[in-house]
Amino acid sequence: MTHKHENLSAFVDGENQDENFVSDILNDDEMAAKWQRYHIIRQSMRKEMPISADFDVSASIAAALESEPAILAPKRTWRDLPVISNVVPLVRSGGQLAIAASVAVAVVVGVQQLNQDEQQVFNPAPASYPGIQGGLSPVSLEQTQVTPAVSVRDHQRRINAFINDHMEQVLLKDSQRYLEDESALVDEVKSEANQPEVSQERENLPE
Amino acid sequence: MADAKANLNYTVSYVLTKPGADPQPYLWRHGVNEEGIEMEQLDQLNGPGREVVRMGEKVSYFESHRAPYSLASGYIIGPMPNVLLTEPKSLLSSYDFVIIGKSRISGKVAQQIRMISKDKSRYGYNLWLDQQTGLPLKINVMDLNGQKVEQIQVTALNVTEQPDPYFAKLQSATMPAVIQLVPTKDAEKLWQVDYIPVGMKQVKHSVRQLPDNAGSLEYLMLSDGLVDISIYMQQATASSAESDIVARFGSDIYFSRKQGAVLVTVIGKIPANTANSIATSVTRVQ
Repeated sequence: MTHKHENLSAFVDGENQDENFVSDILNDDEMAAKWQRYHIIRQSMRKEMPISADFDVSASIAAALESEPAILAPKRTWRDLPVISNVVPLVRSGGQLAIAASVAVAVVVGVQQLNQDEQQVFNPAPASYPGIQGGLSPVSLEQTQVTPAVSVRDHQRRINAFINDHMEQVLLKDSQRYLEDESALVDEVKSEANQPEVSQERENLPE
Repeated sequence: MADAKANLNYTVSYVLTKPGADPQPYLWRHGVNEEGIEMEQLDQLNGPGREVVRMGEKVSYFESHRAPYSLASGYIIGPMPNVLLTEPKSLLSSYDFVIIGKSRISGKVAQQIRMISKDKSRYGYNLWLDQQTGLPLKINVMDLNGQKVEQIQVTALNVTEQPDPYFAKLQSATMPAVIQLVPTKDAEKLWQVDYIPVGMKQVKHSVRQLPDNAGSLEYLMLSDGLVDISIYMQQATASSAESDIVARFGSDIYFSRKQGAVLVTVIGKIPANTANSIATSVTRVQ
């Protein structure tokens, strides 16, 4: 290979090579490209560079464009949703069923919104809130997306309500089994009392 | 494993670790009394404490911030997944079980078993079970990238001839009365979930109302016995409080997304991708 390059260099400098050399270069893309570059180098060294040197970059640009991924309208996936890194919901004491021992304690402690000038950090839970173990540690609630100026507390309350209800439902899941045995009887009582169809479970739980 | 869980007298200490929270130590005792009734106690050891006691099919909760109460239930809902200990075979339709090999956990010879969700829709489990009793020594919950989501590490496991003396005290003590739940009438379905992960089925359906949430919600619970997913569906409004959000609390995910005219909220111990698949599959019942 090196030998070939030396020969090419010599050829460009005007030294004769054997007859097949020119056809070899023609058949070898790499050598052809080198031949072009050697000439440019030679010209520049002799200060013979043309005013607009024809560095042929069109081919490489075309290739680059071809491999460029097409830019489409952004598709909204769940990954674009604002992510709250760590929510620890509050244990509500009123009207909510206690959470099973397994379920970790829950308090949204701090909130940061990146698109706000000053970082908003607050602590909605009194430190002596019952049911919280191990004290409160700041937890960040980061929003990675510009959102309308929603009250963060609204978000928290809403998320808490859902999480508490989920835990309650999990806790009551197995109890349902015992209920179904007598459901016919209780159903009768229920329809007599003309209760609304909305779940009444919560009202039967201790405050 | 199921036999050991139900028939042995044992005391287990374990530590639960979840992301973003301090590790929580628990004490778990189990005993069978002379009448053959199972007794179980789960005590959270840090903080003001939370104690759950099961006698047969009555589970009583003692908590610092409310009056004690009992629920009719056959097991304690705690960090140890009950179904794994009592009916592991029921999980065969959802998970593939792979026996990995033996290792040493908590000073005991442990058999390692891996549980992989068949459709990769749920977290995987790595179990280390005591070679002698089949009781769990370590449980790792792993996400699809192999990252640890939750860990239970047993620090002491003692199997005894007799039930712990603690249970003798309990039998004489009176337990709080069982709360009578009003059964929920099956309400009309407004929306349906078209994507249900392999091995899961609907275990609950009702119409509920939540504080801080105007209007009623249609509620669905999907479960494979091990993982429970709550799905709330409601009419979407222009209210900005309903903007889409993904949140993580402990090893659970909170996923809320407006899907056309319906706002879907999915909560459970599942990857966000699965929550998204569920939320986007909700359609109006024709």
